[in-house]
Amino acid sequence: MGMKTTSPFFLLIIILFGCAKPGVEELGSDWKSIEHDLQSQLILAGDSATVELPSGHFMFTKSLSVDGNKHLIIKGQGIDKTILSFEMQEEGAEGLKIANGVSITIENFTIENAKGDNIKVTDTDGITFRNIKSQWTGQPREENGAYAFYPVLSKNVLVENCIAIGASDAGIYVGQSDSVIIRNNEAYYNVAGIESENSKWVEIYGNYTHDNTGGILVFDLPGLTQFGHTTRVFDNRIEQNNLRNFAPEGNVVATVPPGTGVMLLATRNVDIFSNNIQDNRTLGIAIASYDLVEAMATTEESQLNENIEKSKMDQGYNPYPTDIFIHENTYYNSYWFPTMENDFGLLFLVKFPMSTPDIIWDGIESPNGFDLCIREEEVEFASLDAANEFENLNRDMAPFQCEGTSIPNLF
Amino acid sequence: MRFLVLGWVLFTLLFGCDQVKKKPVLEEVSLVGSAKLDVPDSLSKWRLFKDPLHNLEPESGVVPYDINSPLFSDYALKARFIKILAGATATYHPTEVFDFPLGTILIKNFYYQSDLSVSHSKRRVIETRLLISEKQGWNALTYVWNDEQTEATLEIAGKTVPVSWKDENGVLQNVNYSVPNLVQCKSCHERSSTMSLIGPSARQLNKQYGYSDNLMNQLEHWEELGILAALPPVDSIPKMAQWDNPGSGTLDSRARGWLEINCAHCHRAEGPAKNTGLYLLASEKDKYRLGINKPPVAAGRGSGGLKYGIVPGEPNESILVHRIESLDPGVMMPEVGRKLVHQEGVALIREWIAQMQPVSGN
Repeated sequence: MGMKTTSPFFLLIIILFGCAKPGVEELGSDWKSIEHDLQSQLILAGDSATVELPSGHFMFTKSLSVDGNKHLIIKGQGIDKTILSFEMQEEGAEGLKIANGVSITIENFTIENAKGDNIKVTDTDGITFRNIKSQWTGQPREENGAYAFYPVLSKNVLVENCIAIGASDAGIYVGQSDSVIIRNNEAYYNVAGIESENSKWVEIYGNYTHDNTGGILVFDLPGLTQFGHTTRVFDNRIEQNNLRNFAPEGNVVATVPPGTGVMLLATRNVDIFSNNIQDNRTLGIAIASYDLVEAMATTEESQLNENIEKSKMDQGYNPYPTDIFIHENTYYNSYWFPTMENDFGLLFLVKFPMSTPDIIWDGIESPNGFDLCIREEEVEFASLDAANEFENLNRDMAPFQCEGTSIPNLF
Repeated sequence: MRFLVLGWVLFTLLFGCDQVKKKPVLEEVSLVGSAKLDVPDSLSKWRLFKDPLHNLEPESGVVPYDINSPLFSDYALKARFIKILAGATATYHPTEVFDFPLGTILIKNFYYQSDLSVSHSKRRVIETRLLISEKQGWNALTYVWNDEQTEATLEIAGKTVPVSWKDENGVLQNVNYSVPNLVQCKSCHERSSTMSLIGPSARQLNKQYGYSDNLMNQLEHWEELGILAALPPVDSIPKMAQWDNPGSGTLDSRARGWLEINCAHCHRAEGPAKNTGLYLLASEKDKYRLGINKPPVAAGRGSGGLKYGIVPGEPNESILVHRIESLDPGVMMPEVGRKLVHQEGVALIREWIAQMQPVSGN
């Protein structure tokens, strides 16, 4: 066989496999800029205004900022019609940032690839996100922004019919907010699909979270402006959340094991019911204290103790979850093994061979008691006794089989 | 043939996998219905400076001033002035910015000298920012200077201006200087959701100033002019350390001063970054709130894989250092107002963290 026959093969192989990624990334030729005009319009809009985003692909180099508006509507022509890209962003941490607003509605567009968060809304009373796709394109990676949807320090928050893809922290994240509805959204390829943190009066329902590291998280952290309570999580499809954890270290979600359906952290008064929790390979629902997360995130013992002490000194913060009612959910796990990318996955592999539990409590009890009720048919439970090197780890659910208190409709 | 194939392979390996991002040339499209602001559209209309405008020679009633520890703005120099309406007075306050009367205008010109290695070089003013005290509160306006330096015009949506200059060592420096949009003004000048002042507090203003005829304390001069009331004896007035002047204070006070003016306009209990729980006012006494052994809250990739805001003795392990050293828009702090690293400021913060003793509790 001479060169004549082998060389074309050789070339073909090089062309096919030589570059895992294309050599030149074309951004496309149909991108246009409305940056200057749109920013001017948003600044001059004033109250009771509608700013229309035209159809087309629009590229931005700076954050778009909105501040102090009342009754403002920002409206695109549809998820597939109006595309705002921050791929070429050189300034500002967010794509779209809205602050100090009253009754703001944003809807009907796609926003993508901001250097930080795609949409941040802060200090706003009345914010509706509707029919928006917020994403990082390409493979899920650590360099992606933290949050696709990020309402924080806000009241009367509604996120509906939105899609969140590729966030290196949480797709839909609500922080330090009050009176929140997250419904009928889809979240995938994020570390956390949906996360409610230090928020109160929250309803999370009708969502489809799949292919994230963790499906739905309800967390409470110390040292912030307010603490969370009273969350209803129901009628969600929480499936196949087995993505590797690509959150940058240092962030609390970096501790979430791949294969987590729902995780509660140090929060209270939570009602979880009628969800379909399926094929999350490591666990269905985890209930954890802040002590545990600190232990997982910290290597130095002295540091750990200090931070736990600190969190206890924070008046009003309770590092232990309580008042939880879990009932009438559907659990199904076709995986034989939990994740091996996380210490907890490995622990479950050893302790619960071939049958990972559906509901897990870290077993670290508050001095003031722990109130958990589980009313489920056929469910695998485990209490880890994590504070004592898993010494009294057991699968006895009897102490928690009780009729809890359902939280009535909040809104 | 063999060489040809080999050459091709080499070429592919060398050039084929370069991650070159081709930047598209963006066509600027106009939107319909863009409105206008009902304010003077050029700086000269304010009648704050005599002709020719670029000399920045103040009209009567417009007083130049300076502050002890200024915000870093990509090495731009700043010429500050204040105009208080005749007969009106500001009221002294020991800790907060003074209470200024209605109609007060604070004027800040951002400029570069073409060559800082020589004593006299050409000045180029980039922008002039005004803060005006109106009935509804403080209002911010920005005027961008033309290339001829004859006039500055109102800019609402911000602008990028390429600037070059020679630094103290004669080394050429370049920056795409960013003029903020009017909303971005508020991203720093915000306290409890309303537009506020940052600079003119007693601690910042308590310094000597070389007026055209004499050198004297600014606050005493303001009192003499009748624009400042309730001034206590000068030796009882607090004074902020100058971050770059070791004679003006300890390392701790200079570092805390730098953090206050560069960070604490957001990172304080009433500021827009209150959600982080990181408070950087020089008066903050809680070590945890100051970031010492404090995990991040919503930093995302801003954490750089590090666990705590400040790790005593370990600047390389401190998220705070990582973020003030970064130029990545998704990581860098402050989020707006700089395109360059403030090398001298970073060195100060590094030194401050390096000499910190590990703490136990508060």
